[in-house]
Amino acid sequence: MTRAAPIAPPGLAAMQAAAAAAGLAVSAAASWPEPDDDREVRPLAGFIVSTFSPLLAEVAERALGRRGEPPPGLVTALVIVTARGDVTSAADVAATVDAGGRVGPLMFFQAVPNTVVGYVAARWGLTGPLACVGDIGAGLDLARLLIEDADADEVLVVWADLAGTDQDRDQAAAVVVADAAGTKKEQPG
Amino acid sequence: MTDRPVAAATTARRGPGEAVVTGAAALSAYGRGTDVLLAGVLSGRPAFAPVQRFDVTRRRVGVAAAMPGDPALATELTRVVGEACDDACLTAGERARSALFLAVHDDPRMARAPRRDRHRFGTAALAAEVAAGGGLGGPGTRSYTSGCVAASTAIADAAALIARGRADRIVVAAGYLVESDQFALFDAGRVLADDGQVRPFSAGRRGLLLGDGAGAVVLEPDESARSRRAPVLARMAGWGRAGDAYHPCQPHPEGRGLTRAVMAALQRAGIAAQQLGYVNANGSGTRDGDPAEASALRVALGDAVATVPVSSTKSLHGQALEAAGVLELIVTLLAARKGMLPANAGFLEADGACRLNLVLGEAAPAVPQYAMSVNYAFGGANTALVLGLP
Repeated sequence: MTRAAPIAPPGLAAMQAAAAAAGLAVSAAASWPEPDDDREVRPLAGFIVSTFSPLLAEVAERALGRRGEPPPGLVTALVIVTARGDVTSAADVAATVDAGGRVGPLMFFQAVPNTVVGYVAARWGLTGPLACVGDIGAGLDLARLLIEDADADEVLVVWADLAGTDQDRDQAAAVVVADAAGTKKEQPG
Repeated sequence: MTDRPVAAATTARRGPGEAVVTGAAALSAYGRGTDVLLAGVLSGRPAFAPVQRFDVTRRRVGVAAAMPGDPALATELTRVVGEACDDACLTAGERARSALFLAVHDDPRMARAPRRDRHRFGTAALAAEVAAGGGLGGPGTRSYTSGCVAASTAIADAAALIARGRADRIVVAAGYLVESDQFALFDAGRVLADDGQVRPFSAGRRGLLLGDGAGAVVLEPDESARSRRAPVLARMAGWGRAGDAYHPCQPHPEGRGLTRAVMAALQRAGIAAQQLGYVNANGSGTRDGDPAEASALRVALGDAVATVPVSSTKSLHGQALEAAGVLELIVTLLAARKGMLPANAGFLEADGACRLNLVLGEAAPAVPQYAMSVNYAFGGANTALVLGLP
């Protein structure tokens, strides 16, 4: 009896399919939750109230950690995909404002997905373009464009959307993609 | 073996085609329309005033550049998309084959919707709604939410896709209308100018002020514009985008990513820095952002930085966040076509860390062949767009 291939979570499967459609090879992948052991997203210093930014950082760093040591000079772009963004923070700010309160300064910094993107880019030395789009197809299409135009050698595409109800779970996935035709850089020599 | 050398990404490539701008529309604190926007920025009179749109009594700063009333974002976006398509003389059939790239912070209806309904208010859904309202039915409609480079990134991507022959026509639209939540956040972040003026690159600058902005540009291949005898407002000559890899929310002190974005844009345009006749700077008026940007421009433009006129029109219309890139590109386009460069308002005295050839005092006559609009955002995201004028 053959062992069934592991089934990719829906977000990751959609990213892998979109990567293939865009002619991109996936060199590393990660998702949240991964089987069994993902219960709580690890907190990230400086980010409060919402799991959105920690979730993006978690799957981004999982994927980067699995891609191996990049050759010197490799340029990596980072594309975030999110349909609704940080809904939890947005609703929290709205409730505070409506109650006549003052929002905390940390909420300012996490109000755009760029901030956690900058955190990941700084930690991993990602010097390529940084962008955030609203659907997975657009994210992988943009990755293809950045590679074709030599704005990046590889692209980390990270998707995250928060649970819509208490019955749902937060979901996220990430892929590192490069040109499937083999123009991804190899170690010199 | 690879077919590209290591660090190939420092050499920007592009497709063989060329995107041209055939239509533009805008809304700002000066009012609706590109004519009032141009008249406003050339007047040199900043549009900042006490906020009337919502309660600011608990805020540190109570000033923004907002038009009267409380316009609805989706309505205004649909309006600018329609006006830009009218400006480009697009038929209903041509609109039906055009895509929309929409840059916004979010759908402003989401945060206050019941939790069970919030999933209905994604930015891609808003893009679909605005596209439908404007009669745009082409494939590839998408949304961008990359903070203050959302719109400029969308424009760069649209130009690159058209140059590659992968898109026929793209309307890039963006909007931010000053509202209570972002205002509270920027106030909490203590980045709003408490003297009520934005003073880019000036000693004594005290921060930014938010401003209404919505705009749309129609981008299409030059042969498409020629074949339908459409007016060409400008060519998208070059574009660049790059990251700092430095800090979550501070720019690299020397503007490392911005330098590379500007150099990629010039390279794609195939021009030397001396050929730039105007730079519309990001110029946020913040303590750390302006020196970083000035440093990037000094490196990227080299000796030409002494002569290329620079101004930040955020000193006039304010910071339009996700819409900044489209609003400022339209200002750049209108000013270059008019032959008058808007002044960098609010200037008090020179800051040695921000040495640039600023347009000071009044708008200055000049007819640039090439003009560049520069933007950067949190996360170390940077963009540069170069227009070629007919």
